[in-house]
This record gives sequence, C-alpha cells and structure tokens, in this order.
Amino acid sequence: MDSFSIGISGLEAAQRAFDIIGNNVANAATDGYHRQRIELRPAYSSQVGAVLLGGGVDVVGITRLIDGLLEREILRQGSLLGQVSQEFATLQTVENTFGEFLEGSGLSGAIDNFFNALQDLSAHPTEVIWQHQIVTAAKTMAGQFRTLGEFLVELKSQIELEAKNTIEQINILTNRIAELNDSIEKHEISGGQDNNLRDLRDQCIKELSSLVSIETQTRQYGVIDVYLAGTPVAIGASAIDLETGFREDGKLGISIAGVNNFNINVQGGQLGGLLSLRNELVSDIHDTLDDLATAMIQQINQYHVQGVGSTGSFTELTGWLVTSEVLGDFAPPITSGSVFIRVTDTTVPGTTTITRHEIDIANDLPADPTLSDFADYITNNITGLSASVISSKLHIQADTNYKFDFLPAVLPEPEPLDINFNGSSDPTVSVSGIYTGSSNDTFTFSVSGTGNVGVDTLTLTVIDGASNTIDTINIGSGYAVGDKIDVGDTGIKISLSIGDLVDGDSFSIDVFADTDTSGVLAAVGINTFFSGSSAINIAVCSDIAATPGRVTSALGADMTDNANALRMAGLRDQTVTSLNSMTPGEFYRQMVTDIGQQLFVRQARKDNIESMVQNLGNQQSEISGVNINDEAAQMLVFEQMFKGMSKYLSTIQTLLLSLMEII
Amino acid sequence: MSGALSNIYNNVSFALHLHTDAMANLQEQVSTGSRINRISDDPAAAYRVLGLNTNVKSLENYIDNLSEVISILELSSTIIEDIKSNFTETQVRITQITSGIYDEAARKRTAEGINDILEQTVSLANMKHMDQYLFGGTDTGSAPYTVERTDGKITRVTYQGSFENRDIEVAPGIESSAFYIGDNIFRTNDRSAPVLIGDTGSKAGTGTSSVHGGVWLTVTGSAGNYNLSIDDGLSTFNTDGTDTNLAVTDSRTGEVLYVDTTEIAGTGVDLVSIPGTYDIFNTLIIIRDILENEKGLSDAQVREQLNHLPSLFEETDKLLVQSEVSIGSKIGFLDNLKNSLKDIQYNTEDEATRLQEADIAQIAIDLSRREVLYQMSLSVAAKLMSMSLLDFLQ
Repeated sequence: MDSFSIGISGLEAAQRAFDIIGNNVANAATDGYHRQRIELRPAYSSQVGAVLLGGGVDVVGITRLIDGLLEREILRQGSLLGQVSQEFATLQTVENTFGEFLEGSGLSGAIDNFFNALQDLSAHPTEVIWQHQIVTAAKTMAGQFRTLGEFLVELKSQIELEAKNTIEQINILTNRIAELNDSIEKHEISGGQDNNLRDLRDQCIKELSSLVSIETQTRQYGVIDVYLAGTPVAIGASAIDLETGFREDGKLGISIAGVNNFNINVQGGQLGGLLSLRNELVSDIHDTLDDLATAMIQQINQYHVQGVGSTGSFTELTGWLVTSEVLGDFAPPITSGSVFIRVTDTTVPGTTTITRHEIDIANDLPADPTLSDFADYITNNITGLSASVISSKLHIQADTNYKFDFLPAVLPEPEPLDINFNGSSDPTVSVSGIYTGSSNDTFTFSVSGTGNVGVDTLTLTVIDGASNTIDTINIGSGYAVGDKIDVGDTGIKISLSIGDLVDGDSFSIDVFADTDTSGVLAAVGINTFFSGSSAINIAVCSDIAATPGRVTSALGADMTDNANALRMAGLRDQTVTSLNSMTPGEFYRQMVTDIGQQLFVRQARKDNIESMVQNLGNQQSEISGVNINDEAAQMLVFEQMFKGMSKYLSTIQTLLLSLMEII
Repeated sequence: MSGALSNIYNNVSFALHLHTDAMANLQEQVSTGSRINRISDDPAAAYRVLGLNTNVKSLENYIDNLSEVISILELSSTIIEDIKSNFTETQVRITQITSGIYDEAARKRTAEGINDILEQTVSLANMKHMDQYLFGGTDTGSAPYTVERTDGKITRVTYQGSFENRDIEVAPGIESSAFYIGDNIFRTNDRSAPVLIGDTGSKAGTGTSSVHGGVWLTVTGSAGNYNLSIDDGLSTFNTDGTDTNLAVTDSRTGEVLYVDTTEIAGTGVDLVSIPGTYDIFNTLIIIRDILENEKGLSDAQVREQLNHLPSLFEETDKLLVQSEVSIGSKIGFLDNLKNSLKDIQYNTEDEATRLQEADIAQIAIDLSRREVLYQMSLSVAAKLMSMSLLDFLQ
C-alpha cells in the first residue's frame, strides 16, 4: 500500500503545484501579488530492519516569495514619492498661476508698469491722461495681487479639503487592514499561511504608505500593526480613526478622532505633502505675497497722504472702516508722533490765510486715545474744520471758505509768535520752496548787525534744531529786497521786504519732511492711495479711482510741482526693511524665484525617487513577480512529475494485477 | 533583471513616460523659442531674466521721458532762437536810429515795430507744448507771463509762473528740468548799481535797489521840496534834498530804488537803468518808450538815452545766447544720455534673450535622440512580450 501512497502523494503534490502555477499565472498582472511556491518534503513512511523507506512526498506549505526589507524600502520610498509628487503638483499650479514668463501676465510686469506710470505722472503731474494711467496701472497691479491672494486662499482651502478626504481614505485603509489582520490571524492560528489575504493586506499597506508615511510591526500569525506618526492606527484587528483639524496657531494637523490633539509633524505620502503645503510652502508664499502687498500699501500711502493732486486742497475727506477705534490697537499701534494739518482760510475776500496745526498724539489726546478723541480734537481746536467718526470711519469736513491738506510745504511767512523783531519798521519775511531734508526741523534765523535791509551791514545766521549752522546770509548792502535767497541746500528760500532790524533779532520757521509722523492718516485711510491691508484686499481707494486728479503728485505750496510723484516713483528703487531690505521688485522676483527653485528641487527629487522606486520595483519583480517562462518551466517539471507518478501507479497496478493472476 | 510580466510592463511604461515628458518639454521650447518658459525651468537664469526685463521696461520709460524732455527743450530752444532773431532785428533798427538816419516820425514808426516785436515775444514766452506752458517752471497749467496795458500797449510784463523747476528723472539718479523758469531764462541776475540817465541830478543811493531793468524816475516839486516817484506818480517820496539814500518804492511791485537826492538840481524824468537785472520784455518796453518819447524829453535827452541802449542790447543778447547755449548743451547731454540708455537697453535685451533663448540645434539633436530611445523602448518591449516558453509547450 505504501507504493500507492507514494504515487498518490506525488500526484497530489503535482496537482497542488499546478494549482499554484495556475494561481501565479492568473495573478501575473495583479497589483501587489507575490508569486507563490509549493514547499515539498520527502514523506517518512516506515523502517524495515535497518532500511529507512521513504513514503512519497508531503506538501508542507505554500510560501510567498517576498523580501521583507525590500518591501519596507518600497513603502518608504513610496511615501516619499507621494509627498514630493503632491508638493510638486501643487507648486506647479502655484507657479503657473503666478504666470511669470507668460506674455502679458505676471505681477512683476504689473509692479514695473505701476512704478513706470508713477514716473510718467511725475513728468506730467497735472495732465488727466497720466493721472488716469497711474490709476489704471495701480488697479491692474492691485487686481493681480488680489487674484493671486484669492488663489492662494482658495488653494489652502482646497488643500484642507483634500487632507480631509485623504484622512478618510486612510481611515478606510486602516479599517480594511485591521479586518484583513483579523481574517489572516483566524486562518493562520490553526496553521498554514493565507498568502492571498496577506497580499491583499500588504497591498492596502502599500496604498496607505502612498498616502502617509507609516511604520509597521509584524506579529504572530501574520498580523501586522500599523503606526502613523507614532500613533497606532491598526493594531491587530482594531483600527483607530483619525481626523484633520487646526491647532491654535492655525496650522493643520491630524488627531485621533474626537481627541483634538492635532499633530502637524506628519511626514510622507500625499497627506505629508498636503500638510507641508498647507502649513509651510503655500502659507509662506501667501505670507510673502501679503508682506509685499502690505509694504506697497504702506509705502505708497505714507507718501500719498501728505500731498495734493491737481484738484488741490480738500473740503472733506473720509477714511476707511477701522475694526477698532482705539489708536493703540492699530497695526502698528499708534502711540506717539504728530499729524500736521494745513488749513487755508479764504473767509475774508481777497485774503488767503494759511495756518498749520499740530495734533500731538501723546500730549494732545487723552490716554489710550481713540479715533473719536482725534476727531474731537480737530473739531475743538482747529478753526474751520470739524471731524467725526461715522460708522467707524473718520470724516474730516471743512467749513465754507476753508480748505485743508497735509502738505509739508512751508508756511508763506513765519508764525507771528516765532518772530522777534525790535526795529522801528519790521521787514516782512517770505518763505517758499520745498524742503529737501529727511526729517522735520526748525530753522532759526538770527540777525547780526543793526540797520536797514539792503542798506546796512546785516547778516542772518541760520541754525537748525540741533544748533548746526546751515548758512549765513547777507541781507544788508548787496541784497535787493524781495530777492529770494536759498537757505543752504535745504530747498527753502526766504526773502525780506524793506525794513530795519536790530542785532539779535530773530525769526524761525518749521520745515517738514513728514506731516504724519504718527501714521494716523495712513492707518485710517485719510487721503490714501491704496485701501486694504494684504494681497487679498488691496485696491485703489474709490475716491481716487473716481477722481484721478486726487492722485497726490505735489508737495509744494503752489501745488503744481511733481515732488510727491517723484518721491512715490522713487520707491521702486528704495529698499524696505519689512521686505528683508529689498526693493519691492527684488522682493517679488526673489519670491517667485524661490517658488521656481522649490519646484526645480522637487522635480529633481521626484525624478530620483521615481527612478529609485522603478529600480526597487524591478528588484521586487525579480523576487516576487510572476515570470511566465519560469512558471512554464515549473509546469514542465510538474507535468513530467505527474506523468511519472501516473506511470508509476500504473506499473504498481500492473504488478498487483500480475500478482493477483498468480493467485 | 527579472523577466516578470509586471517588470516588463513597468519598464516600458517608465521609459515611455520619461521620453514623452522630455519630448513635450523640447516641443514647448521649440514652439516658444525659449528654453525658460517658467521659473522652475532654470531658477537662477529666470531670476536674472526677470530683473533684466524690469530694467528694460524702466529704460524704455526713461528713454520715453528723455525723448519728451529733449522735444520740449528743442521747442524751448527754437522759441529762444525766434526771440533772439526778433531782438537782432530790433538791434538793427536801433542802430539805424542812433546813427541819425531817422527823424522823430521814423522813431515812432520804429517804436510801433518794436511794440509788435514785444507782443510777439510775450506770445512766444507763453508758448505751450501739449497743453503745458514751456516757461512756467512747475506751473505748466497757467501762462507764465501776464501783461498790463495802457491804451492797448503793454506797459508791464510780470512773471507769475513757478520758481521751482519741474525735475523729471531721465535716468537712474539723474533728474533734468524740462520746463524752464521763465524768470531765469529771460532775465539776467547779476545786479549792478543803478545808472541814472537824465538831467535832474538824481544819483544812485548807497542802498541796494531792488528795481529791475529800467524804470522812470520822475522828480517833481522845487528846490528843497522834491517829490520822487518810480510808479508814474502813483506814490511819491518827498525829500528836502539832503537824503543820500532815499528809498523810493514802486507801489505796484514793492520794488525799491535808493536815490541820493543831494545833487538834485531840477525836475524832470530820468531813466534809471539797473544793469544785470534786465529782462527781455523790460528791455523792449524801455526801447519803445524812449523811441516814442512819451515822457516829453528833449531831443538831446532822448539821444543820450538811445546811446545807453547798446549796453542794454549787449546784456540781453548775452542773456539769450547764454540761455540758448545752456539749453543746447543740455539737449546735447540728454541726447548722449539717450543714446547711452539705448545702448544699455539693447545690451540688456540681448543678455535677457541669450539667457532665455532656446538652442534650436541642440533641441533638434535631443529630440532625435529621444525619438530613437522611445521607439527602441517600444520595439524591445514588443520583442520581450512576443517571446515565451509557452510557445514551445505541447
């Protein structure tokens, strides 16, 4: 009977082998399938005397051909590829949206056009066509900022949504892994190895690793535990669901569902890419764009508020809506500095009186001043003006026959209180010009000598606020009264009429480089060019857009100069501290080049990892892939074996029949 | 290398994907002519190209501004040339008068001609270019010169333009004025002591007078009680003849003439000429008035005043030549600057193009290479797929 057993065992083994070969060939194109091999062992049968006889063949098992280390490396590289691919694809979208190098698009060109339009305006400050041009260029630039800002906001929200969807996929996969773990454990606890389920489970793990970097731990009976950023997400037959959410600092993270302890340090896979994009890459680009927009708004507004356009001084101005009326809550907080308002009074026909009023934030307003305090101060202390806060907007209104502006132009004459003349017939002092200094100052003019202007020996010594002598001017013999004399290189000119002065007489004038040292005007939107505070809401102020003549090109008293337009155009070449001491153009170029550089690096990394994954895949195929030729060769072997065993059984049968015939 | 089915498929797919991407990239370069179509194609070069593009735009703007400034200056120069030409004509007429060729009637006809020249000169000084007045400094919106007339004749031309230059940035860090301050162009500013031409005996005082050009000093009254006026009697200043430095003020302008009255011997009208302060209009008005002799001066007095005119012509002529030369040299400088900027613009564009331009020959070679590789990948895969041990199984 042993012979029959041997034969049957051989036939059975060959049949199992055929099954496995068939299964291998059938799964040749199945993702995640690892080819299987039959494990055969000579069967022990009996011992006859000293002779140990074999008992045929035993099928001891079916094993998957798999290299654990290689599989782990494939998972790891798959995770990296998932992250890099996600980052690459998103950054590519960002780069394409910024659209540099595309004909007629790109913020870089819009910024250039804006500054060029300002320069054109400086050449034609009073011409309507150029005023319209600057408004159009500014609108285009602001529109580009907004388009990009909105795109980045939308992109961040899409990333958040995609992260949520990815987490759902992860939850589905971890649950499936847990289920498969359960099934595998149940099958294998009674011995054997459920290779197909293992392949199915491993394929889930592989899919999971493309979504996020994971760690696995193999346990008894084929169970694999899965950890995600240190959190166990599939332990044996149990799975833990995750969810996405925001930390207090606004960063997106993942947490065990319901625990609300969000972890942002999740690497690898699509999810790692999404979190890195949301929390770093796209956010940084958005922040940088906002920095640029904010700097443009602040820099242009800082100069714009002080000038006047071809429409001249104002009868009323309204600021923009402020979220808090407390000056200290503004960004940056306003706690000191002054605003200087110039008021032109024409109530007496044929007479124009110009006065300047200072509002010292720290000393003229109560503690923790509000916008209403500021408005009240104007109403109560500046004749001809009233101010109020309506719906959180500052409104300044001039009375009839009054106008106001914030020009740094010198007053046409020294203030009466600043004149100390002791002669019998005081000369009239006239002041003109545009101050070219960089900070506000007071020039004091002291008379040396006694006598008549233009006749006797008289000189004026001019000192600044720091007691530095700026100039010494002859106003005695040799000076023709009424002639304008330059005061050093300050841009200021003075002239004196006929009269007499006494040694020691003096007068002083205030000169201004900045009439809003507090920053209140720019912060509340009074006479500003741009409104908004970031890329998403930058816009040309509606009153400027409606009346381009309001673009403030002039700083001088006669309001025909181009000093402010030149000053604003000059911002193109000025470095800004908040822009890492770069000019706006440089900063933007640096920003878009950084995006391109990051994309370039990721492209290289992606190519490298793809090649590596390809090579690892090849290596895996060598071990675990189904080679049809291999299988065919195996089939030949087992076919021959089957044929042999059949012949053997037939021979044994014949032998037995012969033996039976003897009987 | 394994012969597993998936392995063959993966290798073919990977290779085809690789070659397709590369060929798509080459196709993009060929179709745009640029090797940099987005920053990530070559970040370092892209950064430079963006900077260079900004420079090109900025240079274009500077060149446009320069062209405009040059055009304005050329027009200004032409106007000054026209004024100078008018002035030369005036000079010829006056030379004929002072040579004694013409009688009083002829002098009056000449005065009429000079009046026409004055009208024309004011009109030229108030010339506009593209709706902007050329000689008003920063105030290009209103006529720089206003005139006062008596009986239809110009008696005073006043500059009311701005005294500030409109500086335009014509190159990085270089500003140039396009619109001149008329008062600087048409008036000299090198004041000398007044010269009094007449018979009253008045002399210049020691104070520095502020009157400009030529004014008429009228002395009325009698010895010990003279009244002096420089505004045609609108205001008078009395002296007993002992003042060495009497301030006589023009009530219309506030300008002062310091007069030494100690040698006044009689009444009359003196011409007070202040060399170094004439403007072109004042000169023409004074010449016309002398020729018309509306002050009723004697022939000898008129002739004495006419004899003073050559120095006036010299001063005004010198002023116009200086203005012409100044504007001419500025145009020359700006022309050179414009050419330099154009050169820089050309070089900048050239550099940007070189950085960005695709190498078509190299692309053709690369494309051909990729094509061969692509086809080989397909062919080899087909071969591998077609060979199998299964074909030999019975």
